[in-house]
Amino acid sequence: MVAGLLLGGFYAAVSLGVSLIFGLLDIANIAQPAFVILGSYAAYVMNSSFGLDPILTGLLFTPVFYFLGAVVYRLYYGSFERRGDESLRGLVFFFGVLFIIEVSLSLKYGVDYRLVDAAYIGKSIDLGGVGIAFRLLVPCLVGLAMTLALHLFLSRTFYGRAVMAVSQDRLALRLMGADPVQIKTIAFGVGIAAASLAGALLITIAPVVPSTDRDYIGRMFAITVLGGMGSVAGTLVAAVILGVAESLMATFFGPSWSLAVSFGILLVVLAVRPAGLFGR
Amino acid sequence: MSRIVVRDVDAGYGAVRVLHGVSIEIRQGETVALLGTNGNGKSTLIKCIMGIVRPAAGEIFLDSDGTRIDLTTKSTEEIVGLGIALVPEGRRLFPKLTVEENLLLGAYRTAARGDIERNLAFGFEAFPVLRERRRQLAGNMSGGEQQMLAVARALMSSPRILLVDEPSVGLAPILVSRVIAKIKELKDRHDLTVLMAEQNFNQATKIADRGYIIVHGRIEFEGQSTQQLRDHELVKKYYLGV
Ligand SMILES: Nc1ncnc2c1ncn2[C@@H]1O[C@H](COP(=O)(O)OP(=O)(O)OP(=O)(O)O)[C@@H](O)[C@H]1O
Ligand SMILES: [Mg+2]
Repeated sequence: MVAGLLLGGFYAAVSLGVSLIFGLLDIANIAQPAFVILGSYAAYVMNSSFGLDPILTGLLFTPVFYFLGAVVYRLYYGSFERRGDESLRGLVFFFGVLFIIEVSLSLKYGVDYRLVDAAYIGKSIDLGGVGIAFRLLVPCLVGLAMTLALHLFLSRTFYGRAVMAVSQDRLALRLMGADPVQIKTIAFGVGIAAASLAGALLITIAPVVPSTDRDYIGRMFAITVLGGMGSVAGTLVAAVILGVAESLMATFFGPSWSLAVSFGILLVVLAVRPAGLFGR
Repeated sequence: MSRIVVRDVDAGYGAVRVLHGVSIEIRQGETVALLGTNGNGKSTLIKCIMGIVRPAAGEIFLDSDGTRIDLTTKSTEEIVGLGIALVPEGRRLFPKLTVEENLLLGAYRTAARGDIERNLAFGFEAFPVLRERRRQLAGNMSGGEQQMLAVARALMSSPRILLVDEPSVGLAPILVSRVIAKIKELKDRHDLTVLMAEQNFNQATKIADRGYIIVHGRIEFEGQSTQQLRDHELVKKYYLGV
């Protein structure tokens, strides 16, 4: 149960980028989990070569991933979105990106599990009889901080409000003096940077292989849809619900059932309340 | 001093030519009416000024203290950045954002960000319903409320020149008068220049200094006063039912 709550904070971190890119920009970026894993490997490389803390690495690398995201969006925009044939071909494009990242990582680092080392990993604190592993607590807290930061970005800044508006009416946004392509580039960069930081959290929690992304794609989309497309608060609530549901499922029915939770939730939400919990 | 000059503009959509050699001028501090019934090209002319439709021929420029800025090569967002705002046809609000978020987006252009408090206060004072409903989604507002929001949002950008495409559509006559009176008030307070496209002759001439009549994409008459417009046979024929 407690593990489920902590997991929720981390799941929120993983899903924020999807909420932003899929929920607010309407871009079917199915490569999102691959960027998470790429973030994990960045943390792994810096940790194993220089002994750098994985989460610190994650933070230091956010500008790099922001830039990478901006470049990927410009490519996508130039080849598909501008011509207006984004839906199906865009999906193929992002599938290609996913494939390239996964294969490159496999070729370079093989398919062995990779992990990181930091002083707090393996330690835990005792809170009223419940032992809480720092390995889970730290990623959860960072996930909460990321959620808050994204919420403030969207609600308090001019760029953030423009991001919320961009998929509703592009021309109207231009009439406000904002360039929709620039706004989408920024948002996409932020979404990829968030994914990379989440990747650093992921490898702090558990070892990673290049194909770990497949375990997350279902969770990310289930959380985004349950939370309500593009709602940051909804993403957090949904992530906690999923985290708790998975850990209960794992306790009572065995760990192999926990992945089924995502798809169960996805199906129920789409049938009962397609707008999600906090959907506008 | 700033003015917008449109000279000999031809424009249209694809192969369809809508505007034929249109010339108009909007000088600082004026309120100019662009009168014409459905489908005569009012919105197309406004879209040309805003860089949404590119003219096939002719010139459109902003003359700002003697500096000539060609608008036909500027993007819509750059034109807005110059201090030209549009209340578009069909309002074009962000339906899934709140009233307040819509208004704050209106202040996106850098030059307007310092005036947010003042502009917001003016908008709320002009249309108190917007203050009451500021946390409501724009898409859930009534048509008239949406039109008020569209006007207030455009004013959030502290424009020097305001283009309004048919403010009277979907509004009760009393609200039309209110919107128009508020535009006039703003104009007097902040030296705003206004171009208003309208079908509603009586409303438009309440605040217009002068106006143009557009028929089938051509400027058929330029009236130097509202009286001249009122006396013109086209107005008598189309608007006053004489
Ligand atoms: N996007 C478009 N594509 C093709 N034709 C268009 C388009 N928009 C307008 N037109 C045509 O251009 C002509 C002028 O339209 P416009 O919208 O400028 O008229 P208007 O004077 O604003 O009319 P209204 O009072 O009904 O808004 C019309 O014949 C219209 O059918
Ligand atoms: Mg029109």
